[in-house]
Amino acid sequence: MVFSGTLTYIALGSRTSKVALPPAKPTEASPRAQAPSLPGTLYLSQEGAIYSLSAGRFHQLTSESGWTQPSISPNGDIVAVKRSAYYSDLYVLNPFGTVKRRITNNSQPRNSDTGLYHWVFYPRVSADGRTIWLAYDKPKFAYDVVLSIWSMPYSGSLSQGRLWGNAADYTGGDVQPVPVRGGVLYTKYDYASRYSANLESRLVGMLFITNGSSPGRQLTNPAEDCRDPAISPDGTKVAMICTYMKQISYLTIASWNGSKLGVRQTILSNQIVAQPTWAPDGSGIAYLAPGAGQSGPFQLWWLPSAAYAPPPAPVPTPTPGGPYNGTLPSPSPPPVVVIKPIQVTTNNGFDATSPLAWGS
Amino acid sequence: MLAIVLSSVAGGIAYFMPAAQLALDSTGQVIQVPTPSPTDLLTSPSPSSAPSAQPITGAFTVLLLGSDDDSKFQGDHVLTQSMILVRVVPSQQKVTMLSIPRDLYVHLSTGGYGKIDGAYSYGGAGAAIATVEQDFQVHIDDYIWIGLLGLIKLIDAIGGIDVVTSHPVMDDYYPSDVYSRDPYDYERVAVLAGPQHLDGINAMQYVRSRHGDFQSDFGRSQRQQEVLTAIRVKAKEVSPEDLPALSAALKGELKTSIGLSRVAQMLPLAASLDDPNAIRQLFLLPPYTHGGAPGGSLIADWGAILPLVHTYFP
Repeated sequence: MVFSGTLTYIALGSRTSKVALPPAKPTEASPRAQAPSLPGTLYLSQEGAIYSLSAGRFHQLTSESGWTQPSISPNGDIVAVKRSAYYSDLYVLNPFGTVKRRITNNSQPRNSDTGLYHWVFYPRVSADGRTIWLAYDKPKFAYDVVLSIWSMPYSGSLSQGRLWGNAADYTGGDVQPVPVRGGVLYTKYDYASRYSANLESRLVGMLFITNGSSPGRQLTNPAEDCRDPAISPDGTKVAMICTYMKQISYLTIASWNGSKLGVRQTILSNQIVAQPTWAPDGSGIAYLAPGAGQSGPFQLWWLPSAAYAPPPAPVPTPTPGGPYNGTLPSPSPPPVVVIKPIQVTTNNGFDATSPLAWGS
Repeated sequence: MLAIVLSSVAGGIAYFMPAAQLALDSTGQVIQVPTPSPTDLLTSPSPSSAPSAQPITGAFTVLLLGSDDDSKFQGDHVLTQSMILVRVVPSQQKVTMLSIPRDLYVHLSTGGYGKIDGAYSYGGAGAAIATVEQDFQVHIDDYIWIGLLGLIKLIDAIGGIDVVTSHPVMDDYYPSDVYSRDPYDYERVAVLAGPQHLDGINAMQYVRSRHGDFQSDFGRSQRQQEVLTAIRVKAKEVSPEDLPALSAALKGELKTSIGLSRVAQMLPLAASLDDPNAIRQLFLLPPYTHGGAPGGSLIADWGAILPLVHTYFP
């Protein structure tokens, strides 16, 4: 009797779902055996630690102590955010995760006025290695705390920084700077109804660009609700996440001429997707999304370029028997090959608000 | 043979006991004033077997109530900062969520006039339900009340939720009253924008903060509906066998008139509601409401509100 009762209890317990299982550390669970070995070195964040993925293996570079949003400087160093309870700062780490120097200093003596602290997020170093771009919550006024785009000398201090643009009040502000020739591409949060009277008064993300001499110029429609811009290695495309004011997201690629976005191509739809990042050799895009058929912690996914690059133009087959002056039969279109994204990890929990960094 | 059957049943009772206990505890507190339909858990014979998963076919309306219930408040005398009326029509696979502004100045079921978020503090869930039924002219079948810690525990118990956080939350003066000794303490929080996985604490920060929101309580209502939608998505992966662990996590933090067997019936329903376009979200922004009522509360334009409510909550 005891046996059958216990067995019933255990059997019911074994039928529970795995929804609440904590994610495994990337170093404890290697990428799936059938996952491709991604080129170069990819840097990701999970539970306050930064990991690298190279040659199919994860390496933990920092302790789990608030590290997030890694970015690569031209000399191969890592610039990352270290987030504490009330503030965050930028640090330079070597490629093995050892701190080389602290870029900002937002720490304060413990103060009862929490409004005296500052956040800094989304670091990005310019291609010439001389300037670092970031999102910083200054200026702010009492309850109106917004992030604004700033630049500063990479080897200097925030007191030498320059404010770019004017973040809208009570919106969260301007974030995700991406340096471009003569300026910066970024995500602005603002109310859709301020840009189009036909839209609801809801907060949306829009890609903007500014050269610093004029207010930012809008690149995406508020109804597209886009964020997470990433410029392709050849500089001709921008990958971004658009949500169309819904609780789903679309991985979208747009052509890019350095100042304007062109035709949109939706690559993934109707799922939650974040942080598209181009491989340095142009072989594909990595991104974060929940595991296949699940909601839950974000996994690393890989989309080979064949999934979004236009297929080569078909070449007519020569007619056997020599030259022929008549009309060649129309070449039949090549069979459509659907390239599916590949899930690289299965039980991790990567920080989806942390852009991926990819070194060659 | 009989012994084996009996012992197996005993094992099942032991397994589902935490869920049954929670349901009994929470439903036992139901309501002093005229009530929603009685809990089927109390009338059902026994939780000894796995709950029935017969699908729900009829439309129903639930009032969701959320309260700050930290130590600033005494007992059940809490305000319901979040009040969302949810109508589910299984046959059409449609869900409608109507956020009721907490500052709406209404006739309270317990007598007199005041902000609608005070109804619960005067008479518990029954008073809140009766107030909404009387003012909005709707029938409410069930209610769910959850406190701060309850929402955190619920979301953690289902392993977190995936949300496209439409509104970055940057709040330098967020109340630090859930785990702090000082219920009037505050802290800095930053919930960055974009698709992400939120644990209970971060989800709570996302739905509770209003300082950094231009639309204040209306913006917060939008975020609350986003989180509710995400909980529904996650519920698709929860099985009836998860209910004991869930109920153990929520013990004392959630009150409802919905019985355990009905919860089990709702799980497949949640799984079947797959189309995000099938969820209609309603907010009583101007011109449905406007300021100017006593104590900074909102005046309702019932001439506009009631036709809207009757359309979606017949």
